[in-house]
Parts: sequence; C-alpha cells; structure tokens
Amino acid sequence: MDSNKTYWKGLEELNRTPEFVEKNKHEFAEPIPIEEVLSGGGLSAKTPRRDFLKALGFGVGAVTLAACQKVPVHKSIPYLVKPEEVTPGVANYYSSTYEGSAILVKTREGRPIKVEGNPGDLLSKGGLSAQAQASVLELYDNNRVKDPKLNGNTTGWPQLDKYVKDELAAIKASGKKISIVSSTVHSPSTLAVIADFILAFPTATHVTYDAVSYTGIIQANKNSFGKAVVPHYNFGNADVIVSFGADFLGTWISGEEFTTQYVKNRNSKSLEEKKMSRHIQFEAGMSMTGTNADVRLPIKASEEGIALMNLYNALTGTTLPGSKKLTNANADKAIVLAAKELLAAKGKALVVAGSNDVSIQTLVNAINSLLGSYGTTIDLDAPSRQYAGNDTVWAQFIADAKAGQVDAVFFLDANPAYDYYNTKEIEAALAKVRVKVTFSDQADETSALCTAVAPNHHYLESWGDDSAIEGYYTVMQPTINPVGNTRQAEESLLLWSDNAVKSYYTYVRNNWDTNLLAKGGLAGQAGWEALLQKGFINAAPVAAGTYSFALDLNAVAQTIISQSAKVAAAGKFELQVYQTPAMRDGKKANNPWLQELPDPVSKVTWDNFAAMAIADVKEMGLEEFQVITIKGANGYTIDLPVLPQPGQARGTISVAVGYGRTSAGLVGNNVGKNAFPFYNLLNGTFQTVSGVSVEKTSDIFPLAQTQTHSSFEGRTVIREATFTEYKKDKAAGIGEEEHEKYDLWDKSDDDASHARPVYDWVMAIDLNACTGCGACVVACNAENNIPVVGKAEVARRREMHWIRIDRYYSFEQNGEAKTDGRTGMVTKEKDIAKLQDFDNVTVVHQPMLCQHCDHAPCETVCPVLATVHSSEGLNQMAYNRCVGTRYCANNCPYKVRRFNWFNYWNDSRFDNYLSNEHTQLVLNPDVTTRFRGVMEKCSMCVQRIQAGKLKAKIEKRPLADGEVKMACEQTCSANAIVFGNRNDPNSAVSKALASERTYYVLEELNVKPGIGYQVKVRNTISELHA
Amino acid sequence: MRNISLILKQFSKSVLLVAGIALCGLTANAQADAAKGEAIFKAKCTACHKVETRMVGPALGPQLTQETDDAYLTKWIQNNQALIAAKDPKALKIFNEYNQAGMTVFAELSDADVANVIHYVREDWKKQQEAKAKGPAGGGAAAEDAGPSNLVILALIGVIVIAFIVILVLNRVIGTLENLLTKNKDTLVFEEEVEEEKEKTDKFAGVKKALKNKKLVFFIVLCGVIALGSFSWVTMWNTNMHQGYQPVQPIKYSHKLHAGTMKIECQYCHTGAFKSKNASIPSLNVCMNCHKAVKTESPEIQKIYTALGYDPQTQKYDSTKAQPIQWVRIHNLPDLAYFNHSQHVVVGGVKCQKCHGEVQEMQEVYQYSPLTMKWCIQCHKRTNVNSKGNGYYDKILAMHNDIKKGKKLTVDVLGGIECGKCHY
Repeated sequence: MDSNKTYWKGLEELNRTPEFVEKNKHEFAEPIPIEEVLSGGGLSAKTPRRDFLKALGFGVGAVTLAACQKVPVHKSIPYLVKPEEVTPGVANYYSSTYEGSAILVKTREGRPIKVEGNPGDLLSKGGLSAQAQASVLELYDNNRVKDPKLNGNTTGWPQLDKYVKDELAAIKASGKKISIVSSTVHSPSTLAVIADFILAFPTATHVTYDAVSYTGIIQANKNSFGKAVVPHYNFGNADVIVSFGADFLGTWISGEEFTTQYVKNRNSKSLEEKKMSRHIQFEAGMSMTGTNADVRLPIKASEEGIALMNLYNALTGTTLPGSKKLTNANADKAIVLAAKELLAAKGKALVVAGSNDVSIQTLVNAINSLLGSYGTTIDLDAPSRQYAGNDTVWAQFIADAKAGQVDAVFFLDANPAYDYYNTKEIEAALAKVRVKVTFSDQADETSALCTAVAPNHHYLESWGDDSAIEGYYTVMQPTINPVGNTRQAEESLLLWSDNAVKSYYTYVRNNWDTNLLAKGGLAGQAGWEALLQKGFINAAPVAAGTYSFALDLNAVAQTIISQSAKVAAAGKFELQVYQTPAMRDGKKANNPWLQELPDPVSKVTWDNFAAMAIADVKEMGLEEFQVITIKGANGYTIDLPVLPQPGQARGTISVAVGYGRTSAGLVGNNVGKNAFPFYNLLNGTFQTVSGVSVEKTSDIFPLAQTQTHSSFEGRTVIREATFTEYKKDKAAGIGEEEHEKYDLWDKSDDDASHARPVYDWVMAIDLNACTGCGACVVACNAENNIPVVGKAEVARRREMHWIRIDRYYSFEQNGEAKTDGRTGMVTKEKDIAKLQDFDNVTVVHQPMLCQHCDHAPCETVCPVLATVHSSEGLNQMAYNRCVGTRYCANNCPYKVRRFNWFNYWNDSRFDNYLSNEHTQLVLNPDVTTRFRGVMEKCSMCVQRIQAGKLKAKIEKRPLADGEVKMACEQTCSANAIVFGNRNDPNSAVSKALASERTYYVLEELNVKPGIGYQVKVRNTISELHA
Repeated sequence: MRNISLILKQFSKSVLLVAGIALCGLTANAQADAAKGEAIFKAKCTACHKVETRMVGPALGPQLTQETDDAYLTKWIQNNQALIAAKDPKALKIFNEYNQAGMTVFAELSDADVANVIHYVREDWKKQQEAKAKGPAGGGAAAEDAGPSNLVILALIGVIVIAFIVILVLNRVIGTLENLLTKNKDTLVFEEEVEEEKEKTDKFAGVKKALKNKKLVFFIVLCGVIALGSFSWVTMWNTNMHQGYQPVQPIKYSHKLHAGTMKIECQYCHTGAFKSKNASIPSLNVCMNCHKAVKTESPEIQKIYTALGYDPQTQKYDSTKAQPIQWVRIHNLPDLAYFNHSQHVVVGGVKCQKCHGEVQEMQEVYQYSPLTMKWCIQCHKRTNVNSKGNGYYDKILAMHNDIKKGKKLTVDVLGGIECGKCHY
C-alpha cells in the first residue's frame, strides 16, 4: 500500500477483536441456519403426516379460492373538481422557508413529499441540513395532536377560545402577569403578532427561552460593543479559523451556512488556486467540526477559557492574571502556533468558541477585535437572528411563576418540561400558574403540565415569514391543507387578543405590504406574487462596521479561572453536554429518519451514550458499552453505556442532549437518556460543562453502531495528502501504483455491450468538501422511499441506507509510518505503544454508495440477471426479478447492497416508523417500495435521470449539464457531490474527475467504479509534529 | 363407420350454431341504421330536441310522422339556413313558429346519417305510441328494449330448422353409402356385423375391448395429459394478464359516443396524457363543461350531478354533498413498472389507439392490450424513435456508433429495453 497511514473505522477493527474478526467473516450478521436444519435437528423433527396433509389441503384450497377472482378491482378516484395547477403525476414546487432558510417544497397531488433547498437561499445556497430534509416526515407523524385539548380532554376550538379569552379577561382585570414563552422567534410577522398581543394585554411579556442557549455570545457582545446580538459570522472570509469547542459545521448557530462558507476555501476550486484555509480546533469531545479540522487538539471543556487566555497572551505578548498551562501540553504548543497563524492572517482570521459563558465570549471578542475580524469575518451590523434566548429573563420568569405572580403562560415551540435542567423547579413553577396553554402539536412533556393544548400547524401547513439574518427575509406558504384539526398559533393569539385582523394570512400580507416588500424592491399584489415565486428578498446590504474592544480583561480572566476550578473541583470527571447534528435539542426526537441517521462521529443510531477517552476507559477497566452511572453536582444521575471515543479529551465525558424524551411519541420515547439536567445556571447563562462522578455498573447496553457493518478488510480506500504535499504535487496521495489488470470480458465485447454511446452517468465526490453531516443520507431516504428499520435491526447490520458515510480514524502522522506496511494492519505490540496517540487522531469522512462499476462484480454473480448494466453506465436493479440469493451483496467490494429482511412497508413491527398508512403519504410515488426478500441499492436516482431526459425530450432540446441532480448532491451544502455525464467533456463532473486528486476506491480490483473520489487534503501544521 | 356419422352430426351441429350466431350478428348489423340514428340523435340533437315533447325545437316524434317528405327533411337537417334563405314556405313556417331561432347546421351528416336519424325517431315514436296503447306501466321499459326483433328470431329458427333437415338428409346419405360399402365387401362386413350384433347384446363390450387395447389406453391418457398440461400452462402463463377485462363502471359512459360519434379529442378529457405519466381520469368539472346543458335529464348524467352535489334546478353546487365517483381501473400496470404517457404520446408520437384499441368504437372500454412486458418489449424493438425535429436527439444520433453504421433507430437501440428504463 502506498499510504503510510492506517485507517480504521472503530477500535474493534484497529484491535482486531475476536468478535470483529468473527463478524467480519460473514456478509450478514446472522447466517441462515441451513446447516442446522440439514444436520440432525431439522431433519429428524417430526411433522405428523396428517398435519402435513391438512396444511397442504388448506393451502391448495386457499390458493384456489384466492385465484377465483379474475381481476382484482382497483378503484380509481379522480378529483371532483381538479385544481387548475395540479396535474396528477406531475410534481409542483412551492417556495417556503424552514428555520429561516428558503426552501422548495415538492408536492404531488397536493401532498408535500420532499423538501429541497432554494438555490438562491442566502444561508445554504440550495443545500439543506438533515433536520430540514427530515422535517417533511413530521407532517405525517401519527403522534401529532389532532384536536385542541382542554384539561387533557379533546375539545373544539370554540370551547378552547372561550376558556382562554375568559381567563385572559379575568387576568387583565386582576393585573397579574402573562408570559409568552417561546424559543427564538425570527419571523417578523410572528414577532408583530406577539407585540400586538402584548399591546392588548399590557401585563404580558415575551420570554425567549432556547433549550440550547447563545445568551453568552449575546451578552458578551452587549458588554463589549453595546449590541445584544449573535453576530453574523463569515467563515468564507477567514483564512485561519480557530475554534474552541464550537461545532460550527454542525450544530453551532447556523451549521449549513457556515459549511458553505467554510468549504469555499477548501474545495477543488480553491485548491486549484493553491489556496486553503487552516482550521484549528480545540475541543473536549470529538465533534463533527473537529473531525474536519486540519489540526485538532483535545482539551478539557473546562479549560477552553484558559486556552483562550493563553491564546490572548500569545497574541498580545502580555499575560492575563491567572494564566496557566493546559493539561494537554501539545495543546499549549498548538496555541502558540495558532497565535502565529492568526497574526499572519490578520483581518482574515476568526476565533470562535462554543461556550455559553459570557466571560469566555468576552475574551473571544477581545481576540477577534485584536485580529481585526470585525467587519470582515464577523458582522455585527447585519446580525443573525437565529438565537435570541435570554437565560436570565427565563430564570426570572421561573422565579416570578414560583412566586405566584404569573397567571397565564403560553408555550410556543418551547418544551421546558423536558429541556430545562431543573424539571422539578419548572413543575413547581407551573403548578402556581392558573392558565397554561401550549401550542405544541406534539403531546410533549410540557403539554402534560398544561391546562390547554392549542395545537399549531406544521410549518408546511402554515403561512408565515422568517428572517434568520438581518436584511434577509423569506416567506412561508402552506403546501397542504391542515392534516388535523389544528390552528396556527399566531392565529390563536390574534383571536385571543381580539385583533382587528383575524386571519394570520391577512396579517402576514399586511405586514409585508406595509413593512417588508419595499425592502426587496417589490410592491402590491404583483410584488407579493413575485415573492411567493422567489421565496425570499434581500434588503440593501449594510456594510459591516469595524468594532474595537476596550473592556478590561482582568475581571473576565478571574471569572474564567474560578469557573474552571469549580468544575474541576466538582468531580473526577467533567461532563460536556453537546448536540448531535441529527437530534439537536431533541424537539424532533419523534422523527425516525433522524433517529436512524448515524451520528457523524460515533456512528451510533437510536441512542445517546457516554463518550470517554480510551485511556480513561482502560484506566477504569471498562468495556465498550458497559453502563456507567453519571452523577451530577445537583444529584441527577443517568445510566449510559460507555463509548470509547478516540480524540476525546482525558478526564471528560461527552453526552448528547436531545435524547431521553418521555413524551415525544412512539418513535422518540425513551430513546437514550436526558442530559439536559446536567446544565447549570451560572453567571446568568446556562453552562454546558459540569463536574460529575462516575460509577461502574456491571450491565452492558449494546449500542446500534453502523461503523463496522461493512469492512474493507484493511484495503486502502482513503487517500490523503497534506496541503504542503499538494502544493508540491497536485496528485499527491492518490497512489500511483500500477496494478496488474485482469479482465473477464473480451475487449471486443467491451466495445459492443459495454459501450456508453450517449450518457455515462458518473459521480465525483470531494473528500475535502464532505463534512460528514449526513444530510445526504436523509435526502436519499426521502427521495428513494428507504425504510426505517429500528434499533434492533440496525444492531443486526440491517440498516437500509443506500448512501452511508464511512468515518475513518487514523493516527496523526508524527513523521514516521507506524503501520505494518504490507497489510496495513496494526500489530498488537505497536498498538500498545500507540495508546498515547488516541488523543491525536484524524478523521476522514467518505460517502459510500453504489459505485456503479463498469465491471460490476455483483452483476456477474446474479443467477437471475436481476442486476445488470445499462448503456448509460448505471448498475440497475430490477427488484421484481430478484430472488434474494444475496450473492451480489457478498460479492460487492464496497458493501453497498441492502437486503429487505422484512416487508417493512406492511409489517406491524415497523408500525412506528413508516409502515402506517398515514405516514406513507410521504412516499415518493415515482419509486417503488421494495418487498421482503429483494436486494436494493443506490439507483443513482434513476427516476430523476429519466424525468430530466423526458423534460428535455418534450422541450425538444438536449439535456443540459447540471439539470439532473441527485438527491444527495442537491442537499449537500458543501457541494461535495457532483453528478453528471462523463461523455460530455464540458460537464462539471468530467472536470471534477479530471482533477489530479481523483482516485477510485479499490481501483486495483479493476471493477471500474463510476464514482471518483478526490483526495482529502489537510492543511496541517508541520511544526506541531516536529 | 357409424362413429364417423356421429362425429359429422356433432360437427354439423356446431357449424349450425356458429352460423346461427353469425347470422344473428349480421341481422343485428342490418338493423344498425336505427341504432346509428339513435347514436347520432343522442349526440347531436338532444341538446334541443326530444322525441316526445317540445324543447327548444319541436317534438320530433309527431313532427316527423306528419312530415313524410324525407328529401325535404334531409335538406332541412343538413342545412336549414339554406332552406330559410330560399324562402321555402314549410321552412319559414316552422322557423317563425319557433321564434326564428335557427337550428344548428349539420352539414357533416350524410344523407344516410339523416335517414338513420329519421328512421330512428319514427321507430322510437312508434314504440312509444305502442307502449302507451299497451298501458302506461310497462311502456317505458318496452320502448327502451333494443333487443333483436321478432323477425330476427323467426329467421334464426328458420335457419336452424333448415340446417336440421340438411343434417338428417346427409345422415341418410351416409347411411346408404355405408350400406353400399358393406354389401360390396362381404367378408369384412361379416365380422363387423357380428360385432355389431354383440354390441347389441352387451352395451359395454366395445368399451371393455377398447380398455384391453393398451396402446389405445395409453394414447387416450397421453392425450388427456397433454390437454390438461397445456390447459394449465396457458392458464398459468396468462395469470394476472387481463386482456379483454371490461369491468362495469359506475356511470355508463360511452367512449363510442364521445370519442367516436362526437369526435371529442382524447386529450380533452385525459389531459394528463400529454403532460404527465398518468393520462388521468377527467375530473367531473370537465364533464360539466358540456353536461351542464346537454342531456341533463339522463339518469347517468344525474349521477354526475349527485356526485358533485349539483342541483340542476338552481344550478348551484353544494360541496358538502359531493361524493367522488369510484371508477374501476381497467389498465392495471403493476406498481413495479413505471410508465409515462407523455413519453409515449408526446415524444414518441404514439396514437392512443395503439395500446388502448379503437376506443372510439367501444361502448364500454375494455383492456385491449395484454400489458405484458413481452408486449412492451416487442413494441420497443419494432418501433422507430420519433427523433425527427426533436433537438434532444440530434447530438445523440451523432454520437451513436450503431446508428452511424446504418442500424435502424428503434427504441431498444437507445436502451429502451433496459431494466432501469421502467423498473425503479
């Protein structure tokens, strides 16, 4: 092997544990018990002759009877009066908005079936996150509240309205407080509705409460520059990015937007120009952003502030009081180098921190001010509105409520009974409030405490608007009639406050007509229609001003030091609570697509876990998945399985929030454990780090991890180079080795039946752009009707995803090659020596899907020709021809074929996921659902190819490049995937594949894959390893 | 020898039956002028005329019975405006009588068509009169009955009787011939006669003897096995193939009338065929484009009104009473096959009739094509791509080696029989 690095998917592969070796021998987790049946047991088992005859007789009779009906009668029910814009069989697209991102909603016969990014969107430029992709499924969630409820009983809207209005009138007379508690609202019209409501009820206040709070940043900016906002960061302008625990590509503020910006300086185009940003990440738990960093150093979460102080010291040459060395000496070294880098890139540098602590964020502001980031990489004048939660105001609300001063509370998109750290406190507080109304359309934990439930529409049923960034306005329009007897929350508020405008649509219209349309240069009915068509407007840009920091840092440093010491004193371990890109704060826990999406780093599905450093695991004598009891300072305990996580800072445990919902719905209930109670409120903000004590238990709780489900048997599939190497040789790392090529096919034959006269559909995947977020997996689920199989089935290696993201660890290169060059496997002796290096691992993400090999090994072994090659280079799968031998899966070197072990679409065992009639309305009617016993795999979205060709044919023009987009390609904010026709030398994919970085996975097998990968380039700092 | 005559008898019987049926069909055809007339009448006239009562125009029954000059009537129907312009007194009289509302000109109707219509109206009127005479209760039903007339039935019986006589005569002839043969060849006949006598004494002797003949038994068994085998083979082969499937639809909608007689374009109702994968069954608002005024009294049209919650009196819709119509799907392509109408109709330029048969001739639509994969593929192998004037194909043809070599550009050359074209 040419690569001097070893890549491993998990510790079991690295250590070659006996279980792994045994499992790896088999293609499928559980072999079919043929042997057992044939030898002894099965054959000698007695089936009484009479029983056999009975069964036979019944079978024959039943079949005969069933066959009597000549033609099964299918009813066909047309529209009574067909809406003009609907043509059955043709999709309509409507612009709308999801969390401030402009989107396009694909509807078929009036039901939304897929969400796609709006290419003009400011945030993600046509890409979409996994959560946004999955949001369409929530519309059809069977667990949604279908009717309004009063005191737990289903009621009608008039009764509910009477109750609320009577109560409000009484409260208004008494002069007691009314609170509207919501997570951050960035819709201008909703904010206006709330303002109107407050006008009608002067004692009302709007409390913004975010489960995952950014109060630290807002407060720090208020203190530093007098602007209480979350700034609008621009990673695209940054040549050097230093992040302290901020998962900015995943969960931090605006992950998709930051991904587009970040990748701009790291993709093929940028590399061609010999430009690449440098990203240094200091963090405790391995985050998705950490996996993408050029240099990643594990530091304790409590030391983030100290590390920032050291950086400040290194930048300024001064020493803040209380500065001290970090536990990880390497990190200190890296900070000095980072300071050097940052200073060199002054004005093009950006430092971010994930902490919600005001002091830490103030220090970050000081550093960014030093680096001249304001006005270039940080924009305070057109700030982000994505988070505006104020933890102090929220704490005040609880105090007021406990004191009995609040008489009515309305919860809008807020579920504090689950995600507020002190459940008992919130319960006690709410017990004192007389009128409690929630707008939640899920029977969540908070609605259980409420007197009234006024279920809100799903966003796909709603009118509305949004403004995630100052000056960027998007519009939301309904794409389906309300599925249940729900009503939009804003409309409820309008009705209850006796607003002159009763319909929220009219309200939104009026608001746009008077305030917003003009900002985008639009006006009147025509302007409104243009807006609905386009989906968004951009106001005239405001130039980002420069700001300079002038606060005294001594007090800040003091606070940082004392807080860090407090965490360290609280327990042996420190617990870092984080969000996973799929589950985030847990509001979408009832979405099976998100639950089954493997975590980008741990590849765990359907659970959260305690990620611990490998050294700590060994020290405590723990096994993988052994359950530990984590006890917080406030006495809260949870039992979680241990997951040894390479790259985890020693002495830290990371646990994801968003799990452990008790009232999310049938899918999300009791999945994992709730980590929110480990939060604590300190200095006015929620702190995500706390000291905990850990106890071993003897239980083992296996996690359904997908990481080792398919092994490449130590073959090199990842190619990597450093930026320095790349600058010297663009083809660095691709492995020039020539392999002896064998061919089963005649050359003459090759010309005839393997010709691709017109199209040759191929794909190029840039490993340098892929961040591993998994949005493509969910997009593929939605597009191709991929079933959800649940935890038990995932554990049996039966997940059905057509595209997976393989995550490979490798040890940070420390100059010498540490692996057994020939096999690429690590030997035991060396293994121990390398234990130290588990702190410093690098990660590469590789999207893996059917490679559509020109010499496909699966095709040659299929006994029934169910999988064959097309003249367009596609490896086709004819489901109805498949008899389920699974030979193809055995013979596939990429392990991308999936077998339908069950009839997932009509099996009560999978009722919670997608097999109920209502949820199945989300299915794409252009793609068949596969039956039990057949193979399936990536079809290269052949339905999209065919539809694209047909459109071109009808319009009598050639098919343009980029016209047909794969679902995975379309949703990728990083543009890591390019699909197209290789026969066209000018197509984007041809150009991408012509790059010197292109290599093919397992090229040496000469299967001629149709998907080319581009070498991962890492802009490492050589001095760090010197 | 006796057997031969028996077989012949059987044969002649079946021939007779077939002939009878054929004759029946022929007579039905001969009667078609009234039926044709009815179709035309219903399609073109009923907007303004009824046979028994005056509507916009006169009640045609009495009118046409009074007026016997068919040549004049033909002229009137084909172009009444010309007659009025020519100041024909009869024409002017009726023109004035009906508020000078000109009748639609039906220049497209041939003389024969008009004759059919007139014939139909008179027959219908006569039937109605007869029914009235018989009694009001059963009258309507009798008039509606359009079965074969008594004459046809009599003719049929006559033919059958004649055929029987022919059979009897032929049998006689055969008998005589057999006798002649036996007289000529005594030796052989002797044995046979003995046999015959035995037969008379023991009915089953022949069967018993035949059973002893192993070859015969084997032969019969073999025949049986082959027959059964081929029967089950054919049955199984055609399982799930529903060619000719003609379910009863909730509304007796006639494609023959709409697409045939009225010559309404297929896509007027099946709008999707040109835009979508589904040709789509028209929604009822399409029906209402015409049937708000046309044939409002028909019980079938009333079904549309009920479905829509439409009240013809007030001409108002009540959506709360609306009930969609559940048509029975005739062409059931399995879910695993993707079929797109627009690809075939717009791009391929395939006529609807190629797959659906002469729908304009079908009173009730049935499944014309087998809709099997073999059928699809055969067509894809034989049909040339409709590439002329389509910019999509220009470059493709230039790139395609096979075509450059002069191969015919059938659908399969462009990959039209690859799995992934229809199965995904």
